[in-house]
Amino acid sequence: MKTKALQILLVEDNLADARLLREMFSKEKPGSFEFIHFLRMTEALNHLAKSTVDIVLLDMGLPDAHGMDTVRLTHAAAPGVPVIVLTGLDDEAVAAEAMKEGAQDYLIKGQIENRALPRALRHAIERHRLQTETDAIRIQQLQFKDEFLSHVSHELRSPLTAIYQFVTILLDGLAGELKRDQQDYLAIVLRNVKQLESMINDLLEVTRVQAGKLTIEIQSTSVCDAITYAVNTLQGAATAKGINLSSEVDSELPMVSADPTRLRQILIILVDNAIKFTPANGAVKIQARMLEEDPNLLILEVSDSGCGIRPEMTERIFERLFQAQDPALAGRKGLGLGLYICKELVTRQGGRIWASSTPGVGSIFFVTLPVFSLPRLIARAFGRDGRTERPITLIVTELASRAGWLSDDVRVERSQAVRELLQRCLQSDLDVLLPKMGSAGAVELFFIVAVTDVIGGEAITRRIRESLGGSDYIEQAGLTIATSYRSFDVGKRGTKGSSSDFLQKVAEKIQLLMNEENSSRTVCNGE
Amino acid sequence: MANKRILIVDDDPDVRHGMHVRLKASGYDTSFACDAISGVAEARKQIPDLIVLDLGLPAGDGYVVMERLKRIPALSMIPIIVVSARDVQANQERAIKAGASTFLQKPVANAVFLAAIRRALGEPALPEETGTFKLL
Repeated sequence: MKTKALQILLVEDNLADARLLREMFSKEKPGSFEFIHFLRMTEALNHLAKSTVDIVLLDMGLPDAHGMDTVRLTHAAAPGVPVIVLTGLDDEAVAAEAMKEGAQDYLIKGQIENRALPRALRHAIERHRLQTETDAIRIQQLQFKDEFLSHVSHELRSPLTAIYQFVTILLDGLAGELKRDQQDYLAIVLRNVKQLESMINDLLEVTRVQAGKLTIEIQSTSVCDAITYAVNTLQGAATAKGINLSSEVDSELPMVSADPTRLRQILIILVDNAIKFTPANGAVKIQARMLEEDPNLLILEVSDSGCGIRPEMTERIFERLFQAQDPALAGRKGLGLGLYICKELVTRQGGRIWASSTPGVGSIFFVTLPVFSLPRLIARAFGRDGRTERPITLIVTELASRAGWLSDDVRVERSQAVRELLQRCLQSDLDVLLPKMGSAGAVELFFIVAVTDVIGGEAITRRIRESLGGSDYIEQAGLTIATSYRSFDVGKRGTKGSSSDFLQKVAEKIQLLMNEENSSRTVCNGE
Repeated sequence: MANKRILIVDDDPDVRHGMHVRLKASGYDTSFACDAISGVAEARKQIPDLIVLDLGLPAGDGYVVMERLKRIPALSMIPIIVVSARDVQANQERAIKAGASTFLQKPVANAVFLAAIRRALGEPALPEETGTFKLL
């Protein structure tokens, strides 16, 4: 069988060098190598766009491309083809840099032994093939793992449903009166069904984290509301165990910049854990206050009088699949995913999470979150001193779904995708895409942009209409869009236009918030 | 007044049975189908007041059932509640577009399930839900 000749694309503007290189193959079996030679980068790129080669032998100093650019351009034109760079004696550092950019090897001109070049080429091709194969297998395995986890989690739901159905049928007395003991035992079954369900949800959540599909919608969020929610949700579990669950919140706390659903989720994980590791008659407490050292951060504390964590473990507990080692203290184990998910959620919202603990006395979990500050968000548009002589233009994009209502999950995912599209419509350094301002309902989504002049407003509005209007995503998701804009003068008290206008209201709200921010903090539980 | 009739289309016999007991206790009559083909056939035969539909079914999935029901004038107006173990993000919107009035993910709490049925049937919601649902 005749093996196909290895196609070598040689990009070298020095004809003498090129001839020298080709001569090095003169002793090879005829027909085993085939040279395609170009003097310019552009010519080589044209060739790569049309046909494939086995390897590229690349001079890094060409008339139309130089240094690292040569490697990048080649990679961009032919991502799957190995590249060997040719450099001068004094350029070894550059060559090493080229390897980082993805070149397979480098050869120094004038130092190449005759027989070494064909061998180096063959090795480079083989190495590259192995690398590509390994990468493909790794990606496939990761994908398989994600699909597997997702599949298993969903399949587990059906038998769990049947168990839930019949346990509740018995508990509700639909199959006859139960004795006290029977009721108690079934309540235990039900509690375990609930635990299984939350494990399945954790599994799915981790799959989302790892596939980068975790949705987070940052907006102005009340910490008090989240704490109240967590206390209400888990009060029953705490009372059942004889644990005193309480909260202490500064009366005047600012809003934080976070996703309200995710903030609740974080607190639920932390408080649920605290209850789990605290013995009867213990106490679990949630606190929130401003961080003294940094007025831009708010700190949440969840403290318990539980078994505590050994000091060397306070960092490891946030690792995936970490489980408490002492079975006597741990009681029932979970999957070891809660704190891992928690850390991911906190970090993705611009915060930090850590724990401190005294074994036998208790643990405290700390979470910091950035304070929501409208002036800081639009500081760019207002200039350094927080004032501007120029008028500000507000643009609003309203989104609705043709299908009517959407679940929170789906809505958040849509909203995030549209935000990314909107972000791309902004060009000026001064323009700001604001988080949701709270006036959006479950169906409609609003995005507001502040820009510094009227012409900019018109241009951006047009760009948004074109970009979102022509987006397949919007069409497929069954969304409708409406974009409008209006300019107003920040310096003045009132603004022009009719007061029923939505933009007018937003403008007023921004002014109001700006004034509030300057005088006092938003009162907790207010509004 | 006669009880409202609900057709349960689900391939899991235990889940069908569980739904039957729960619905009977709430005053509904039930009938069953275990795959897409018999689902449509039963609907034709019974003309139920409501259909509880699983998505993962043999012989074509729940979407196929909704598609076929839509094309039969006598059945196209029957409200459908999808109860499925499948992913919410990937299926909720699709199910509603296909004609379902609600998408519920398994395991669904009894109170949520019954409230969705009452809403789809146009019955008034109960002022306060009782039972064990609060635990799940």
